[in-house]
Amino acid sequence: MDEIERRLTTCFAGVFPDVPVAELRRLSQASNASWDSITAITLVAVLEEEFGFELDFEALPELDSFERVLNYVRGQVER
Amino acid sequence: MRFIDALKTLQGQPLDGEPLRICLACGFTPLHLQTFLGAYVREAMPQRSIELANGLYGNLVGTVEAATDPGNDALVVALEWFDLDPRLGYRIAGAWGPDATADIVATANASLDRLGLALDGVPRSSASVVLSMPTLPLPPLFHTAGWQTADAEAALEEMIATFRSRALAAGHAVVSSQRLAELSPLATRHDLKADLLSGAPYTLPHANALGMLLAQGVVLRPPKKGLITDLDDTLWSGLVGEVGPEAVTWDLESHTALHGLFQRLLASLAQEGVLVAIASKNDGAIVQQALRRPDLLIRPEQVHPVEAHWEAKSGSVDRILRAWNIGADSVVFVDDSAIELAEVAAAHPGIETIQFPTRDYSAGRAMLQRIRDLFGKPRISDEDRIRVASIRTAEAFTREGRESAPDAFLAGLGATISLSFEQPGDDPRALELINKTNQFNLNGIRHTESDWARPPMGADPLLVVASYTDKFGPLGKIAVLRGRRQGATLRIDAWVMSCRAFARRIEYQCLRACFDDRSVDCIEFEFLRTEKNGPLRELLRTLTGHEPDGTVTVTRQQFAAACPALYHTVLRTRSVPADG
Repeated sequence: MDEIERRLTTCFAGVFPDVPVAELRRLSQASNASWDSITAITLVAVLEEEFGFELDFEALPELDSFERVLNYVRGQVER
Repeated sequence: MRFIDALKTLQGQPLDGEPLRICLACGFTPLHLQTFLGAYVREAMPQRSIELANGLYGNLVGTVEAATDPGNDALVVALEWFDLDPRLGYRIAGAWGPDATADIVATANASLDRLGLALDGVPRSSASVVLSMPTLPLPPLFHTAGWQTADAEAALEEMIATFRSRALAAGHAVVSSQRLAELSPLATRHDLKADLLSGAPYTLPHANALGMLLAQGVVLRPPKKGLITDLDDTLWSGLVGEVGPEAVTWDLESHTALHGLFQRLLASLAQEGVLVAIASKNDGAIVQQALRRPDLLIRPEQVHPVEAHWEAKSGSVDRILRAWNIGADSVVFVDDSAIELAEVAAAHPGIETIQFPTRDYSAGRAMLQRIRDLFGKPRISDEDRIRVASIRTAEAFTREGRESAPDAFLAGLGATISLSFEQPGDDPRALELINKTNQFNLNGIRHTESDWARPPMGADPLLVVASYTDKFGPLGKIAVLRGRRQGATLRIDAWVMSCRAFARRIEYQCLRACFDDRSVDCIEFEFLRTEKNGPLRELLRTLTGHEPDGTVTVTRQQFAAACPALYHTVLRTRSVPADG
């Protein structure tokens, strides 16, 4: 687990407190009913605060799993 | 606080904590503000389980109108311009421009009236109310350029000013716009993207700042009671023992006005009932000369005691605390010397220490503000105004009492106790006493304004507030006792008495009044042992003959057998319930 993934895991742990940390990497909107629109807004706020970029809301529908969010964050951080 | 930390703070709540129910009324997606608000309240009250509720999106007034639920401990209202008329926000495509302006102002006025009526409908016994006035900048909807105030803008601001005054007069807490502006500059508050896309208009830093201030209104920390100050390079500039009493300065001409500002603040605090004392390593006689200077901005009678000698300051602080009869955790110590601060802090855990920043004006301004925050209180009572005189009175009482037989001394006091039988919420001084008294305190339980205003369970509630005066002067309101009758038993769940009133047998007079007023055979006390409530424990031991533990029952016969001779004149008053 690299630094970005570790930080992202911390973000997800804050937004999804009921999900065991070991399962966060496999988390997706489809597998977790609590990942609703409000949770998505929370996640956006946490990610923007943690990584310091402004998240493109157009991309939000695509960011429906830990894996996809991780790839998105990597892309933003590497810019 | 970072948003992620706020989330985690809220997640770590105690499962068995007593619930603290907060209703957040706002017209936008409350997510960020709600999270920060809850987290700051939780930080201040870690033993409570914070429950946050909010109303429907876009319906702030409706949420307030529905907030008469007696289960709420606090109602927090985060008002924004768009709550008064959606056209004052960005999310509604209603018309801007000259044709709409008059109608926008009229609609806003009507909305504020409705909100005012809704707030009037929230019973004081239901919840404490904390409000913030609109915090976001108005959109560019008026005809003037941005630098210029438009007529409509002035009209809206005037409405808000009137509404704020009305809220303050009703006893609600209103967030300071100035403090908010210090923490969250206007230009950094609005997140247009999040507002338009998710209905959450605040940037995270703004939600953080506003949440923190609103939480302070919910929590209402008890203010500190006393301030102990050093003299040289603190109360004034210069070493009085070296330059002489006439040469120390605190004025503009000498470029030492920061010390003058400190004196002005201390004088103001003293008028508000804060105890002010001096602890200085100096020649006592020289200090007395300096303190008599007529241009000193704090009057000598506002300062008591003065400890000026060459002994350790921790010892001076110890004697001052004993004279005041309060704990170190209620006191702030100000000194320019880091070593002196450390010495006092080590000897008196819990004392708040502040280093006087002699030449750093920015830090000086922050220090003045911090002191104001530590001692700030929503209202000033009659007891606050007489506190220093009352302490001098207590010292005279103790001196004379030592020289006489107790009963002869007490009989000669000409003491009068006024017992006021009140309704819950009648007297803010009652809650203040409950929340700041440690020694003569039945169980140490602190109460929020809302849960104190709620009558205790039971058909026949009792709330007695006792005031005392004798030949040495008035002590003001010094005792509070609360309970309810259950058959032939009176059950007391709160009882405190100021330490200034000890040794006058006032506690016996209070109990006698309870037995007589409610015609009960026994009184049950919901006693809990705390680190500091030895005096109350001792009284219960005297009445029952054994060490108190948990609920303690005192019968009328036990009381009669243990009650010493009482010499007070007792006056009784009774308030009527608001509903008649």
